[in-house]
Amino acid sequence: MTKILLGLFSGIAFGFVIQRIGATSADKMARAHLMMESDIPKFMLTAVILSAVGLYGLQVAGVGRTLILPTSLLATGLAAVIFGIGWGLCGYCPGTAWAAVGEGRIDAVFAFLGGLAGAAVFAHFHEYLVPVIYDPTNFGRLTLVDGIPARPVALLILVVVFTGSVWAIDRLWGHRDVVR
Amino acid sequence: MEKHDKTDYWNWLPASFALAGIIVFIFATFGPPASSSGFVSLLKGILQSVVPGYVGTKAHYQMLPGPDSWVFAFVLGMAIGGFIAGRTLGIPVRDVPEIWERRFGPSRIKRYAATFIGGFLILFASRMAGGCTLGLFISGSTQLAVSGLYFGVLIFAVAMLTARLVYGNTGKEGAE
Repeated sequence: MTKILLGLFSGIAFGFVIQRIGATSADKMARAHLMMESDIPKFMLTAVILSAVGLYGLQVAGVGRTLILPTSLLATGLAAVIFGIGWGLCGYCPGTAWAAVGEGRIDAVFAFLGGLAGAAVFAHFHEYLVPVIYDPTNFGRLTLVDGIPARPVALLILVVVFTGSVWAIDRLWGHRDVVR
Repeated sequence: MEKHDKTDYWNWLPASFALAGIIVFIFATFGPPASSSGFVSLLKGILQSVVPGYVGTKAHYQMLPGPDSWVFAFVLGMAIGGFIAGRTLGIPVRDVPEIWERRFGPSRIKRYAATFIGGFLILFASRMAGGCTLGLFISGSTQLAVSGLYFGVLIFAVAMLTARLVYGNTGKEGAE
């Protein structure tokens, strides 16, 4: 029960914040993809930087749980391409779809229903697809620490690269107040 | 084109701190947050009551929890959070986004068909990769996972390219 309440509380806070940055608006998301508005990508990348630093703190304190997903060169890459096509087309990702449905956007309801169908189709063919596209190029649960054994250095590299990306996006993308 | 000088949306920097605070809280109290798994949990709950035998034979439903789980409570919470935030912000929602309407007209059918297909693709892909923008890119990169970084670079690049193809020059009108 505690787990359910923690999940519910975390979800409400998460949904609230992503609505307030405009990530549940497919219009803002499309503008982000078209390099017209930089709020959403800067928000996402900065949240990763801060979370990575925070998680490092948790790890030093010995608190929390991590779970690294494996890297399959083919499946992770192919999935990312399919995902990018879907995201660019509809302007929703799975998380923002939940919050946008709550917000009352009917086009998000259809994205949500399409999502249920897509998940059901993959789940149905999981046994056939995973051995063919996922397993052969699965390199396991790789992290930057496998290449750079000192965790603080690996973290620093992530922070530097992501901060550079935020800076570049800020320079190259338009700004919302200029646009609309 | 109507002009809004400023929106009531939050500034991205304080919002990033807020989201990171929530993410670190989630890592401390549960583990990596995820949202595409919530779709599977919901499906599992539905299918268990409709075709109980089917769920037991499918690996994908066996590896994820049903609706009585943290992840389902989390995604349900996201919908509630979106509802509360939307109601208290006071910007009316549109069923057909402005930029879409300028490109494809006001047809709801066309927009809903497109989001259904888009939704299908993002969830099919997320289940193939094992996570989505949150469960794989954000959660993974926070843990310095190569899978999350690899997925993240590609989804941004492909989505930007797709948006260019979908919207053409529509966005540029009235932009400057």
